[in-house]
Amino acid sequence: MAAAIHDEPPLAEPPLVAADEIRAAMEYYASQQWTDGLPVVPVTESYLAEFLARTSRDPGDVVLAMPHLNRECSVRLAAINAAMAGCLPEYFPVVLAAWDALAGEGYVTRGIWQSTTGTAPLLVVNGPIRTQIGLNSAGNVFGSGFRANATIGRAIRLTAINVFGLHPHLLDQATQGTPAKYTCCIAENEEQSPWAPLHVEHGFKPADSTVTAMVIRSCVHIEARHTQIPEQLALDIAGTIGRTGAMVIETTSALIVLGPEHAAVFAAAGWSKDDLRQFVYDRAVSSRADLAAVGKDAISRRTRWRLPAGHPDALPVDQSVDPVPALNSPAAVQVMVAGASNAGVSAVIESMGARGNPPSIAKVRDIE
Amino acid sequence: MSICTDSFVPAARAMAKVYGFPAYEFVTMPHPLASLDQEQIDFRARELIPDVLRILGVER
Repeated sequence: MAAAIHDEPPLAEPPLVAADEIRAAMEYYASQQWTDGLPVVPVTESYLAEFLARTSRDPGDVVLAMPHLNRECSVRLAAINAAMAGCLPEYFPVVLAAWDALAGEGYVTRGIWQSTTGTAPLLVVNGPIRTQIGLNSAGNVFGSGFRANATIGRAIRLTAINVFGLHPHLLDQATQGTPAKYTCCIAENEEQSPWAPLHVEHGFKPADSTVTAMVIRSCVHIEARHTQIPEQLALDIAGTIGRTGAMVIETTSALIVLGPEHAAVFAAAGWSKDDLRQFVYDRAVSSRADLAAVGKDAISRRTRWRLPAGHPDALPVDQSVDPVPALNSPAAVQVMVAGASNAGVSAVIESMGARGNPPSIAKVRDIE
Repeated sequence: MSICTDSFVPAARAMAKVYGFPAYEFVTMPHPLASLDQEQIDFRARELIPDVLRILGVER
């Protein structure tokens, strides 16, 4: 016997279900289109109960409603989809906080997840829960490899599909979408940030755990490895935020996710987050001529979208404003730190949400 | 009265189903629309009028 030769202990609890039965259950879920395309975890009532035990909320409580679709997501449905996404039960309070933040943000309930632009929710987690459940805030923070990041973000997408019915080619009309639609959940690298973390900046205590939700389209990387001059680095960031290709409506908004090395460049020069915000607001501009060259020099009278001056829906162009700011205020830019401290690399997240209003942050409840 | 370009027909049908009116009739036109100039838009509008009147039940 192989076990005797290698002195391996016998299985204490042999599996109670045959592997082909598990596969059959997974295939059934796929055949029902209860998926983002990847395999999902089959959920039983007993497994669901482990998730529901992690919250004091009633299973019937509504976490988010979409009145225009006449559909709402309950705590129970959110738990089913979190389990299907591969979450562990201890992640569920974070998933619920994500729904609170998304509901507070407001765009989701007005149909943005169905838009041709093809947005996705970005979740940013702050506070002690990050380490308690193993959320990655360091190297490869936007990449793969960490169950909590991967599955908490995925729980939102599966709910969008399975509860709200936002299937691609039907109620989800995204022209191209974004890879972030599979999952997009990061934690802030608070330990390597020279500044107050995102949640503390907006009034929460350092010991609070929170989720910030934003509607995003793109994650654009900034490479600047050889400078120690904050103005040089900030100009790269401002140029990225001000790029005309990302301009949909009159102004834009952004989240700057600084790598620790870049954050240290600003901090060493005595810059605060507000200093960076102000610099970016001042420099993220386009000349009238540059906007005209790409057919975005006018504003729609109805939708405030950018369009060519000659378009039938265009308002008269105010030539006295030149250059034209890409942001309506410094507050339209949020700043946080994430990633490894191993290179001068950062990212600009192009967001579609509130321009100048505080970000939507929800406290993670029912945790020790 | 709902009017959409043909690219949005699947989404429009799905919305009609959500609201419990799977046979809801809407007018469609060729895509795209956003990039048309005034003359092209006027032409499209004239093309749509018979369908709009038919769905509204206007007797001519």
